[in-house]
Order: sequence, then structure tokens, then C-alpha cells
Amino acid sequence: MDTADNHYEEKFEFPLWKIIKERAAKKDLSYVKAALEVLPEYEKGIRYRDTAFEEAEVGKRAAELKALQEAARGQGQGGPQGGQRR
Amino acid sequence: MALEKLADKIVDTDVLVVGGGIAGCPAAAKAAEHGLRVTLAEKANTERSGSAAEGIDHYGGAFERGMTPKEWMEHVNSYSAGFAYGAVPWADPTRMYRQYANGMWAVEELEKLGVTMRWDDGDFRPCDCHHEGPFLRVHWTQVKPEMAAGVRKRGVNVMDRTMVIDVLTNKGKVAGATAIDTRTGEFIVIRAKAVVIATAACSRVVNPETPLTWKYKYNYHWCPSSVSGDGWAMAYRAGAELASMEQAPRGSRFRDDKVMSFGNHGNEGIPAKRLTWDGIERARGRRGSIDVRAMLEQQATNDPSYISLEHLPEDYQKRVEVAYVDERLVSFKIAEDRGFSPKSHWYEIMDNRVNQLHVEPGIYLDANFMSSLPGLYAIGDCMAGNHDVANAAVSGFLVGDEIPDFVKKAAEPVIDEVQVESLKEITMAPQHLKDGTEPTELECAIRYACDRYVGVSRAEGRLREGIRRLSSLKRVFLPQLTAPNPHYLMRALEVRNIMDVAQLHMEACLERKETRGSHIRLDYLDSDPSLEGKLLFQRLENGQRLMEFRQRAPMAFSENHKEDR
Repeated sequence: MDTADNHYEEKFEFPLWKIIKERAAKKDLSYVKAALEVLPEYEKGIRYRDTAFEEAEVGKRAAELKALQEAARGQGQGGPQGGQRR
Repeated sequence: MALEKLADKIVDTDVLVVGGGIAGCPAAAKAAEHGLRVTLAEKANTERSGSAAEGIDHYGGAFERGMTPKEWMEHVNSYSAGFAYGAVPWADPTRMYRQYANGMWAVEELEKLGVTMRWDDGDFRPCDCHHEGPFLRVHWTQVKPEMAAGVRKRGVNVMDRTMVIDVLTNKGKVAGATAIDTRTGEFIVIRAKAVVIATAACSRVVNPETPLTWKYKYNYHWCPSSVSGDGWAMAYRAGAELASMEQAPRGSRFRDDKVMSFGNHGNEGIPAKRLTWDGIERARGRRGSIDVRAMLEQQATNDPSYISLEHLPEDYQKRVEVAYVDERLVSFKIAEDRGFSPKSHWYEIMDNRVNQLHVEPGIYLDANFMSSLPGLYAIGDCMAGNHDVANAAVSGFLVGDEIPDFVKKAAEPVIDEVQVESLKEITMAPQHLKDGTEPTELECAIRYACDRYVGVSRAEGRLREGIRRLSSLKRVFLPQLTAPNPHYLMRALEVRNIMDVAQLHMEACLERKETRGSHIRLDYLDSDPSLEGKLLFQRLENGQRLMEFRQRAPMAFSENHKEDR
């Protein structure tokens, strides 16, 4: 993927920012105040205290990185060299 | 001339804290709690000033009470194998240990000050995800208003829009400081028994990450007013020692900036991918194991690098959004305006350029946070060998807690009026000049000199030319700085400080003829064994610029000592 693709052309909206702006407009609040109001509700869907979930995700990434390092060593390139194309 | 004629305002205080950020506010509040007269001078507005102006998403440090030095070293080594190319770990291990050992105490003190430390459910939320070790994830959008309110409640004399310019000394000891009101232009003299510098580090010796046009010349990763090196420059001019000014860690930052929370995805444990320009994910050596030559070769062929969050589950995408609120709300707008979506775009990392002089360089201190100038303390990011948010707050509270002992024994400060007159002339000069050089013009020239002649990988020829060019700028353009109003006077005085820091930085880079820590010399790629464990010190003595390598002080405590509050 060319990271320059679609810059400035494709519109994108953060879901949380949309909620913040709507709340600010509705109640005539600053964005900071609106953000502090909406945040607790938005966070309810996030698994902050689910350590099993977090460890699984972090573990998945760690395993991928370990495989990269082993591949790099296997190619005799050591250190930060070597990798796999996405 | 009598002081009353020289100064538009005279302030008497026991302790002057310079800078109202995450270090300065705790220091002021704690010292006031002990009944001292405390003045906090902040050149912006304490409610929204400093690196935490827009908020921060993390508070790092160690949270085990009563760590011993042995436990602290094990903790540190488990997360961070010192610096990459030979160890220059910290300027003073005793002071670093004290900060970590009192980390939990500082958390409690912050809560007493009115700062929100806990998560929505009322508990702390530790994240063991940053290379430094355990962090607390925090909702710190409002940290500065909370701190400012707490400081005022403790009776601190808060002087907003007051820029401290020079430290005053008398017979080799601190006597106070000069300052200006950046709104009225009044020249102020503050008499103080002790001065605590809390002015953060220095970014403005190099250009910011953004490639955008002129008006974005102040678009720094951290709040630009807090990164002009004011404290370093004033400490050096007063005769205090600075150390490690050649070190310039290259933390990863995102181009087009203002997405710091995104850059600090590590604080949320977000398992991002790091890709080269052609989409390859490369194995990265653990910090402390990188081969300099291999790193330079990799940079030459694989830069720029990118962070990708495309693969992440929805839960982590939402965590990124929450981190934006905690740290920099404006990131939403900037990202959206530019069409950057974490779900479909890569974020370019600026990690092979100097973005700030901090962590290692700074004011050299003893285990009690005092500089080589009696009565002059330093805390937060302006300390030599310092790290992160938590260390700023801890160092502030420790100094605030212990400074009463010094103040009780200190004599009444006597101001040298000849010194004040001389400093006032330098301070106010830009206001008397019309049609001179605008401060930002000169600042851009200094930044260009540092980017072009110093940068990440240094060499003798470029450094010598850089020093020559800087010296030329200082001789010709510094005296021509013009300031049509008090705000521009502040800018002009910042440029004076930036010039001083740039000169210290270049001279240190030239002096250290080896590669060590984040200092890379292309012409001396190996570490010199004779400089192992040695810091490079710089000070001004009777007008002479002195430099010397000296061994840093060893740990003052036994390995089983316990510091606990």
C-alpha cells in the first residue's frame, strides 16, 4: 500500500470525536467539557480490565516479533535487519 | 543605582519556583505546605502551560514502596538495558533511585493536591507496557487546571505571565532572580533564599517534525513555550554546571505531530506494527543491543519508518481515541483534516532525527537535587539524567519537602545592584531597537545550524563549521534583536537562551570524540574505554567556558538501603 494514497481526499471520522462534537453543539459546551462528559459512557465498551484479552493480543504480537527475530538470525543478518513483507 | 529605581516590582519570598508545570507545581505546593513563602513564576498561564498543557495519558515510574537500590537496578535492567552504545545511564544514580523509591508517595501527594490519578472505576490502572516498566494510565486532560487550583489553595504566590530571565547571585550563592511581566513589560526582581528551576528541556534548537509552512514553526511535540531551554541557560550563566549536553535521545514522534497519544500507543499496551517504507516489518534489537554501524546502514536504506494499527481489533482502536482525549484533544481534528485514519493509514515516524535535548542533558545535581550553585535546585525535565512525567512530579515533591531545611539555615538574600543593572540592560535591550532582527528569524537560523551541522550523526568538520556559524549569528544578530512589545521581548529572551543551549550542545558534541549513548560520531564510531562512566561537564567560571570529563558520582546508599515516605 502506498501510504500517500487518498491523503486529503478520503474523509474519515473518529466515532468518539463525532460524539464529542455533537454533545458540544447540543449543550453549548467546549470540546474539552463535552469530551469529559461523554468519555465514561464511551469507555464502557472497552475491555480495560480484561487482562486475559490484553495478554492474548500482546502475546500474539510478541510471537510475531519473535518469529521475525528468528528469521533474521537464520538469515545471518542479526540485529534490526531482515523481516517479512506484509 | 538603588534596587527600587532599577525594578518596577520587587518580590520577597523564601523559595522561587521557576516554571509551573508538572514538576514546578508539586514543588511549590509541598514547600508551601511546610509554611514557607513560595512564589511560582510561570511565563505562560499555569492552568494550561508546560508539556502537559493539553493533557497526558500516562504516569510512569515504580510503584513498589520502599525499593532498595538493588531492587531498583534489577527493575531498571529488566526493562531497559541502559543506552545503546555503551552505558551512560544516569547522571546521578542516587537521585534516580530516590525518585523511583518515592514513586508511590508522589502518587498519594498528587491525589492530595487534587489531581485525578485513578481510572473511572476508582482504582489505579497500571499498564506494564512501556519500555520503562510499569505505568499508570491516567485521564489527565485536566491535570493542569487541577494542579493550578491545588497550588493556589496552598497559598502559593502564583505569578502567571512572568518570565524569569537570570538567576541572581551574591558571593557564590543564590540571591534570587530577575524577571519580566510578558504582558506589561515590567522588570521584576525577586529576592529568594532558594531558587528551584522547573523549566523543562529544550526542543527549539532544532526544527519541529512538521514539514508545514512558516506559521507552524512552533508546532512542537511539546508545548513550545516550555522547550526553549530557559532554565539551562540561566543556570549556566549563573555559574552552575550542566552535563551531557551532547546527548540527544531520538524518541519516536509522528510527523504532522499533535498526535502524541497515538505516538505513545505503548502506554496503552497497543501492539502496533512497525514497518519500513516498503511495508516490511523488521525485527528490532532490544535497547542496548543495537549495532551502530548496522543502524546507520538501515537508516540509509529503510527510512522512513511507519506505525500501523490497521490490524488491531476494535477495542484497541477505541483505546487510541480515548488516549487522544486524555492527551491531546486537537489530535482528532488534525488527523481528520488530513485524512489520517488509524484503520487505513500508516503514521510516519520521525525517529532518526533529534526532536529534543532531554533525558540525559541538563543541570547536574546532587542526590538532593541541588546544583553546583548553592541554593539553586532543579527538577523535572531540566535535570541531567531524568526521565518522564512521574520523575517530574516526584522530584518536585521531594524538593518541596526537603527545601525547608535549606531555607531555615540560609541567610537573608542580599541583592547585588550592580549585577541587576547589568542584567537589566541586556534584558530590556530589544525593546529599544527598531528595524532589527525578529526573534523568530534568528531562532530559525539557530535551528538550521543545529539541524545542518549537528543532527543525529556528528563529525568533526560539520561541528567546527556549526560552531563558527553559531558564533557569527551570536555576534551579529543577537544584539540586533528587536521586540515591539513585551510578548516579543519574551520571544527575544527565549532566543538568547536557545542560542546559549545550542552553543553548549555543539561544543559538547565536538568535545566527546567517541560514540556513546545517543551521541554518534561518524568519525569515532566506537566507544572510548577511557571515557567509560564519565560525563562531560560544562560551566562558566569568571567568563571562561570550561569543559571536563569526570566520573559521575556513585550510588551513595548501600544496596539494601530503604528510602520510604
